[in-house]
Amino acid sequence: MNLRFLVVDDSVTMRRIVINSLKNLGYTDYVEAADGRDALGKLAANPNINFIITDWNMPSFSGLELTKAIRSDATLSGLPILMVTTRGVKEDIIEALQARVSDYIVKPFTPQILKEKIETLLAKLG
Amino acid sequence: MTEPKNLVTVFDKLNDLKTLFRFGEKIVPIIQSLVEFMKEIIPLLENINTSIADSTNKMPLASNQINDVTNATELATTQILDLVDDISNALASIESALVVEKNKQVHVDELVEIVGKALPSDKDIQEKFVELVGLTRDRQTFENTIQLVEAIREDTYKITLALQVQDITAQQLAAVNHLINSVHNRLTLLVNDIESSDLQAELSGGFDVPPNTHFDPNASYTKNQGKQDEVDALVRENNLSKH
Repeated sequence: MNLRFLVVDDSVTMRRIVINSLKNLGYTDYVEAADGRDALGKLAANPNINFIITDWNMPSFSGLELTKAIRSDATLSGLPILMVTTRGVKEDIIEALQARVSDYIVKPFTPQILKEKIETLLAKLG
Repeated sequence: MTEPKNLVTVFDKLNDLKTLFRFGEKIVPIIQSLVEFMKEIIPLLENINTSIADSTNKMPLASNQINDVTNATELATTQILDLVDDISNALASIESALVVEKNKQVHVDELVEIVGKALPSDKDIQEKFVELVGLTRDRQTFENTIQLVEAIREDTYKITLALQVQDITAQQLAAVNHLINSVHNRLTLLVNDIESSDLQAELSGGFDVPPNTHFDPNASYTKNQGKQDEVDALVRENNLSKH
């Protein structure tokens, strides 16, 4: 399966770190977005995106709003969404899960945890 | 009979007046003290007002300085990431060269075997040949170099991951900025209220700080695996409740 990732984060540093980690895991096909609204545009322009890694706190359109928008769109709702965020409060995690993120990572993340989460979600996709 | 009664009333009123004057005699020094106190306190209040206005005016500067720090650290982080990318690219070149060398080594081994068989049985030549083969077959150094390159690659990746601290501190600074903005707004209202009274102080305009959707006020850089374990437990619980 040819995987194309969408990496959504307003921090250029974080996008580069996530992309670097993906490359380290052997995933070299990716698209970047600076916030949720940008991400929706990229999804529309790249129908072959099949995995989303998103931050929560972003200007104009957060990762949570992005998740809700994707889940309410029939053509996109099946996409795996991995939330990578600093928000580690229980209420936040529950809110994200209720919005139907596929999995959740608290920053700072380790390469092992990123690998494990991606592989688990890909296994579910089949 | 009515005249004496009126006189009694007049005397009563005079007594009331007398009491009032006596009260006045007592109250006047207190009022005088109060006036003196007010004379002293008003400059003090004006000083406080000026101090609040000064502090309020300095807040946008503090906020800008925080933004400058965030921008500077982001720039520095980008430069470090660029350097790490350069190192990674250089390592990739070294690795490619090592693979080429490894393949050459296989060919050298084949040639050594052929030449070894064809050499005359002269002891001196045989010894020199063994020495030459030993020099070309420095496998240990070769393996060490490969391991060193792998170790450097691992370290550069660790540097990359450690730079997550920039995003986390940027969120912490944004939270501080938001707090400064809130205090600034409150103090501006307070100073404006005082301005509408007789106490006056010069106050500069407001300043823009990003809305609080940009950051997590509780962001922290900790390598505590426990936090991720808690998250995973919640995710598992959520998945179980779905089925």
